[in-house]
Amino acid sequence: MQLVIASGKGGVGKSTVTASLLYLLKDEYRFVAVDADADAPNLDLLLGVERWEEERELVGAKVARINTESCIRCGICQERCPYDCIKVIDGDYVVSELTCEGCNVCGLVCPVPGTISLDEVRSGVVRKTTTRYGFPLISAQLDVGRPNSGKLVTEEKEWAKKLMGELGLKHMVVDSAAGIGCQVIASIGGADLTILVAEPTPASLSDVQRAYKVVQHFRQPAYLIINKADFNPGFTALREWAEAEGIPILGEIPYDRAIPRSMSMLKPFVEAFPDSKAADAMREIAERIREEILK
Amino acid sequence: MQIAVSGGKGGTGKSTIAINLAIALREHYDLVLADLDVEAPNDHLLLGVELANEEPVELFMPRFDYQKCTRCRKCAEVCEEHAIITMRDGTPFLMPNLCSGCAACEIVCPVPGAILPGKKLMGHTYLTETPYGFPLVTGRLLEGEERAMPIVSRAKKRAQGLEKELLMVDTAAGTSNTVSKALEDSRLIIAVTEPTPLGIHDGELILRLAKLMEVPAMVVVNRSDLGDVAKVREIAEKYGAEVIAEIPYSENIIRSYVEGKPIVLTDYPEAGLFREIASRVVEFLGGGE
Repeated sequence: MQLVIASGKGGVGKSTVTASLLYLLKDEYRFVAVDADADAPNLDLLLGVERWEEERELVGAKVARINTESCIRCGICQERCPYDCIKVIDGDYVVSELTCEGCNVCGLVCPVPGTISLDEVRSGVVRKTTTRYGFPLISAQLDVGRPNSGKLVTEEKEWAKKLMGELGLKHMVVDSAAGIGCQVIASIGGADLTILVAEPTPASLSDVQRAYKVVQHFRQPAYLIINKADFNPGFTALREWAEAEGIPILGEIPYDRAIPRSMSMLKPFVEAFPDSKAADAMREIAERIREEILK
Repeated sequence: MQIAVSGGKGGTGKSTIAINLAIALREHYDLVLADLDVEAPNDHLLLGVELANEEPVELFMPRFDYQKCTRCRKCAEVCEEHAIITMRDGTPFLMPNLCSGCAACEIVCPVPGAILPGKKLMGHTYLTETPYGFPLVTGRLLEGEERAMPIVSRAKKRAQGLEKELLMVDTAAGTSNTVSKALEDSRLIIAVTEPTPLGIHDGELILRLAKLMEVPAMVVVNRSDLGDVAKVREIAEKYGAEVIAEIPYSENIIRSYVEGKPIVLTDYPEAGLFREIASRVVEFLGGGE
């Protein structure tokens, strides 16, 4: 079974919840964890990963380059670039590598053959390790300024599937990126269900509603975990929304200083502070996941 | 003139800092705030306004006139996104989700009119008046669409079009090329980070991007009592950035957020912190009133 943890909004505790959930399920289930937030991967930090056993460079991203020797400075490339990535610097037309999407429109419209080339560049790395808890983790790191491509996530999931076959693992748990863009779509696409994590604030509600639309697009069941549940007592709209949509609420985790403290210790909070209120809530959630989802 | 508020990790308080800083800077500049976190735009919620003046962002999407198409496959060959597949006889089909709207296919098509300019709605931009004396421009990607870049680019243009003295940009988290697009042309980046290992890890990435883009950066440490600020200083120094403010974890900030009243306008002591950040920015940029 492939399950995804998503939130829409960053910083609501998706990765901390994921790390603790993995910790609670590790003895009973055989799974591979995937950190699909290639732009800002953090699950490895929360699981105390210190080294990677295997790293693969991911090439295939492309950026345009203009040869200033043969460039006749006609400006057609700049005019036609769909994303305004071409600037004039000291009289030379230059492609900004940090914003280029690699579509090659500049190369196609350039009247001087050979002046604009489309060069392959590295987009990042995909990495694998075995955590100290025994289960494998696949993670990726996008290089700074590269397109935030779902291809990296697809690559991670392929590797995870291969590991499942090799090691006889039953489940894949994907910690998705924040937002609703291509990495999130690549995470949710092909999964069996999504667990949404949200906090009771208008911003988190707005973002989780958007993430839920992506889940619906793939016709998957969704569940909700409410984090920092007591942090905004007057705000009932999150719960009401979930009830109106028929999204089962797996549980509520109270705001607990044990969580940020555990993050500084680089440990799942259920491991670092097993007696905390948050850990109690998390164990109940894990129990429901065992009974209702993983069965 | 443009400045940006950015931060590697999501949820560090970028938007909170952006809106409070915008309110504080309003006393010095005629400004516009642009929310370019198009996958999860929240500045309007924090400012307590409803998005207004919606404009669609539509992308070119090829439509094939199969009467005219010669099945030469050039469109499929040129598509970097592999969004056009061809049947055995060369008949092209589009997979709309993969299409980036770059129009390369139309450029190479040898038969005039065989590729028609269809359109696809990718999202919207908004221009909303706020009760705080500056307008807010917001970009919002449509759910189910993958490409944030066109929305970021269009929202930024809309904000630039207002020709204000100061354009303040609030970016998405991370360091992908949509963040670089938002940061582009900034005179200063305010990098918001937390002093936790995760915050520091991601904060370093944004400082690296700022360095690559040759934009000076200042660091604001949010929830500064939840970790080791000395480590943030160390990283900041490595990239030639200065830590200009430390904002401790504060119930008052949460309370003001919940009440929909920006903290900088309250009597809470934290308001002073934001005014100080603003004066550091004014000092750096010069000008203003």
